Amino acid sequence: MFRLALNMLFGDRAKLAMLLCGLAFSALLMAQQTSVFFGIMSWTYTPVVNIRAHVWVSDPMVEQANDAKPMRDTELGRVRSVDGVAWAAPLHTSFLQARMVDGNFKLITLVGIDADTFAGAPAQLTQGRIEDLRLPNTVIVDEWGAQLMGKSVKGPDGKMQTVALKPGDVFEINDIEARIVGICKVRRAFTGGPFVYTTYDRAKTYTLGARRTLSFMLAEPAPGITPSELCERIERETGLKAWTSDTVIWDWSDRSLARNTFWWFWKNTGIPFSFGTAVALGLFVGIAISGQTFYSFVLENLKYFAAIKAMGASMRVLAGMLIIQAVTAGLIGFGLGAGMAQAIGRVMIEKGMPPFVMFPQILIATLVLTMGISIVSAIIGIVKVSRVDAATVFRG
Amino acid sequence: MSKAHDIAVTTHGVDISFGTGETKVTALQQTEFTARRGELIMLVGPSGCGKTTLLSVIAGTLKPDSGTVEVFGQRLDKMNQAELTAFRRKHLGFVFQSFNLIPTLSVVENVMVPLLIQGISNDEARRRSIAILEKVGLKGREDGKPNALSGGQQQRVAIARALVHEPPLLICDEPTSALDKDTGAQIMEMVRELSRSPDRCVVVVTHDFRIFRFADRIAEMEDGRISRVVDDPLSITQQNF
Ligand SMILES: Nc1ncnc2c1ncn2[C@@H]1O[C@H](COP(=O)(O)OP(=O)(O)O)[C@@H](O)[C@H]1O
Ligand SMILES: [Mg+2]
Repeated sequence: MFRLALNMLFGDRAKLAMLLCGLAFSALLMAQQTSVFFGIMSWTYTPVVNIRAHVWVSDPMVEQANDAKPMRDTELGRVRSVDGVAWAAPLHTSFLQARMVDGNFKLITLVGIDADTFAGAPAQLTQGRIEDLRLPNTVIVDEWGAQLMGKSVKGPDGKMQTVALKPGDVFEINDIEARIVGICKVRRAFTGGPFVYTTYDRAKTYTLGARRTLSFMLAEPAPGITPSELCERIERETGLKAWTSDTVIWDWSDRSLARNTFWWFWKNTGIPFSFGTAVALGLFVGIAISGQTFYSFVLENLKYFAAIKAMGASMRVLAGMLIIQAVTAGLIGFGLGAGMAQAIGRVMIEKGMPPFVMFPQILIATLVLTMGISIVSAIIGIVKVSRVDAATVFRG
Repeated sequence: MSKAHDIAVTTHGVDISFGTGETKVTALQQTEFTARRGELIMLVGPSGCGKTTLLSVIAGTLKPDSGTVEVFGQRLDKMNQAELTAFRRKHLGFVFQSFNLIPTLSVVENVMVPLLIQGISNDEARRRSIAILEKVGLKGREDGKPNALSGGQQQRVAIARALVHEPPLLICDEPTSALDKDTGAQIMEMVRELSRSPDRCVVVVTHDFRIFRFADRIAEMEDGRISRVVDDPLSITQQNF
């Protein structure tokens, strides 16, 4: 009988297509909206991703990666002397106004990295070499920033267009020249403007000799020591705060900088709420669509279930049939929807558009929701079928 | 001549009404009805007189408000829903006016339903369904969809489905009224031929006098009651219609 239930489901291609479209669309909506949401949220810990250090050390009051409480440079020596530290390098980050050639000001994120080790340097340079940062007044700008800070010029067709900055172009930070020697590819951040990389010492110059410029220290554990072990040692011996750099965000207690950053934004900003409403809307629409499509499928078949019931099928068998149909439709719908979400996500990531982070948890949650919706619809159907009078089969 | 074990169906003092107050409709009133094993009895009468309602009571799909319903020695009026369902599964075959075939299933799958809900294996159910489809003249049409068949052919599928599990009681509600005259006669011939068995009782509701000749007995209904029972179907054909 359960095989017949499936044949009933697959027998009408047009109805099946409708049903699967509804389920797939809602699964797509749910998976896609949540993925974009987590993608945007993952921008909050972009520094951790871009800098690629194993251990971060900060002022004990720092709560998250975008929150710099600069320390004195002497702290670097204290960290370096902790047993188990292979090396430690300074890192400066600050938000500054940069003045473009055309006189416009743009907000930038200045990143000062250690000129000896280049610890924290971008993973990928599309133009130029990192070593050129050792030349006077040089910076490396990220691709997206180069576009954002680009010059407006009149194109051949007479329309204004933006030409991205390129090596050789010059702008000013606090009236000091910044000459671009490279373009890098890094992940975008939630806060601040384009990334402008320079050396730690030159960052001091650009910030006009701010009293403290040591935002973070990047440390590498000696062989045989795990990052979290090193964190413990550093904290114990220096009283500073030390963080690991793993980016699995499903826990909020431990010393991962990314995780704490993510959840800090979650707790302290309106972002989860404002984006969350869009996600909730997506979920709601998804639930409504898939519930509605499956329910109408059940209604259309109610007459036939009544006939089967009249012929003596027990409620257990009828319920089993409905559940099997629901589970099958739900699984296929989920598969299609999740597949589409993945495909769209891939395109979005390629285009560097709104971020897209499809955690396995999102897929699992989407699956659970899609199945939940299908099963709830099936249960409503079961109730309907149990109420339907077997005698109705005699009525035309 | 009617010994107790010859009786297939008896109803005694059955009342059924629908709705309440102003809209209350009395469908059956103190209805007395008897059908025997081995016979084909027709239930005839004007539209709205309660034929379908009585059929539903006999079929165990509708419980009477009062009165007793005994089918093959079992009191349907005393059964709960689950017991009625189990009873229908074993004892009943249905043929409906509107065929009630499941359009998304193939012809043979439709016929397999009564066997499958009895827990018979898929292969066995298929084998038996194909065999009976051959008897109703639909060999080779097993894997098509019912909607690809003519009305008469669909009703033949329904007959195959009603008899495939060899139920002792076959219930047909206006089996020919959706069909033209010749097809209707063919269908009744088929019902008559295939359902013939000393132990089986066939109850056919109809108001199509052209098929009266297929009946062993005819029970006439009027306003929720059996008004008379005729042993010679041909007489009623000539007299009243
Ligand atoms: N489910 C129902 N609800 C309300 N009235 C009904 C219902 N079923 C039948 N009736 C009424 O009961 C009477 C007998 O109906 P029915 O048994 O279908 O007659 P027949 O089959 O002889 O045409 C009719 O007046 C009909 O309107
Ligand atoms: Mg009727």
